Amino acid sequence: MRIWLRQHGYALNAALRHLFKPRSGFWLNVLVVAVALALPFAGLTILENVRPISEQLAVEPEISIFLSMNTPREEATALAPQIRRIVQDAHGTGKLEFVSRESALHALKDKSGLADAVTALGRNPLPDGYVLKLVGFQQAHDATHVDMIAMQLKALPGVEFVQVDSAWVKRLAALLHVLRLALLFLAITLSVVVVTVVFNTIRLQVMSQCEEIEVSRLVGATDAFICRPFYYTGALLGLGAGGIALGVVALMLQPLNSAVVDFARLYASEFRLAPLGMLATGSLLAVSAGLGLIGSLLSVQRHLARLS
Amino acid sequence: MIEFQHVSKQYAKDATALSDVTLSVAKGELVYLSGPSGAGKSTLLKMIAAIERPSGGTVQVNGQDIGKLKASGLPYLRRNLGLILQQQRLLFDRNVLANVMLPLLVSGATRVDAEKRARAALDKVGLLDKAASQPLSLSGGEQQRVTIARAIVNRPQIILADEPTANLDRISAGKVLDALKAFHTVGVTCVISTHDEQILDNASRVIYLKQGRAAANGWNNDTARGTA
Repeated sequence: MRIWLRQHGYALNAALRHLFKPRSGFWLNVLVVAVALALPFAGLTILENVRPISEQLAVEPEISIFLSMNTPREEATALAPQIRRIVQDAHGTGKLEFVSRESALHALKDKSGLADAVTALGRNPLPDGYVLKLVGFQQAHDATHVDMIAMQLKALPGVEFVQVDSAWVKRLAALLHVLRLALLFLAITLSVVVVTVVFNTIRLQVMSQCEEIEVSRLVGATDAFICRPFYYTGALLGLGAGGIALGVVALMLQPLNSAVVDFARLYASEFRLAPLGMLATGSLLAVSAGLGLIGSLLSVQRHLARLS
Repeated sequence: MIEFQHVSKQYAKDATALSDVTLSVAKGELVYLSGPSGAGKSTLLKMIAAIERPSGGTVQVNGQDIGKLKASGLPYLRRNLGLILQQQRLLFDRNVLANVMLPLLVSGATRVDAEKRARAALDKVGLLDKAASQPLSLSGGEQQRVTIARAIVNRPQIILADEPTANLDRISAGKVLDALKAFHTVGVTCVISTHDEQILDNASRVIYLKQGRAAANGWNNDTARGTA
């Protein structure tokens, strides 16, 4: 065990010596790999920031029904059974809530920060209305049913305007899903690029050290002893590139955040992009080192066999 | 210690390096291989080190059949051999001491122990003062002695030297041979291939190879010249 550890120490030392060897081209390759990794890392950082927001938003369709201003309160409340029947006819269930124009005004004053403007109007500009939360319409293909319900609701007497509120949330969820798939595809493609770059770097290193490999074999080195420094070099290349890519993404967030914060304020949100957490950062570094190791493993196995 | 039984080596249909060679070298013996260029001396040494495998017959080194030796067993066989090849094969990206330390580090020795033993080996070949030098700054004879230091640093049971004095002047050649003989006197088996007739004049045992065959195998000057 002690000899095994000692030989790993020797291999790590040999790999580190190679990093600082003049004209080894190692750091140039680290930069190439870092550029390849920065793109999926940036995408992942943005998606990870957006994910909690999309998860908080309801994807159940919500329909707001606005009645005309001159609809009497009795007629307005009498619409509830008709609305429920339309939902039942569409084989769905839902939660219906009547929102009086007074409570709507109260909510508007409380939540929007428009209290002064509304008071200045001197009258309540809001109509009576209903909020219908549909259950069992989460799938994308249910959107047609929801639109049909909305059309039937619009045809009811006294209804002025019908708005399907959660359609955009569904679209956002669908968009995020597509983005996640695109990111996965991009990550797989760029992983192949990373493995190829490491493969080629290690190939050149094996070729430049073929004399040392042959001499080592003649004096009794095992294949494991010969291969280990190359494995460490590949893993260090991946690790270094991963670290640089994460650093670049963290730096990139600063200028991006100034624009994002301004945009979010328009929606009274404090949203800002944050770097990835410790666990995610550690995982990405491990993945980077792993890709480097895979590249070096493939390269060493192939080229060492040729030298034999 | 070393046994060849009807050994042949064929690289291609019309390229036979060794043909039906049978010989044995006992433990602690100093044996010279002589013969013209292309006689098969280098091939014979490479077979002992398992660099080449026999096409026919059996080669046994320390009881191990080289023909049946698995790749995973090669490193452990070679750790008991001291190899000195025609080209010095030193690593020019590191100093003399680091070159001599290599076989020890390969075997799992600590850096401190490896350095101590490498310095002792360099002292034996008279090059301790060159430990920190770069191999390229040394003369041909000195480089060859560094190779010898590297070959003996692991205290091998067998030393195989292929033309160790080729391209060296008389004084350098003498120093190299003296170093090799010194190891023979402490019980190390040495097999040395050479063209040098002056060396063969004083040889104890000579195996003369001609066209891949052991044409003579004996203890006198006639054997050395292949006229026995």
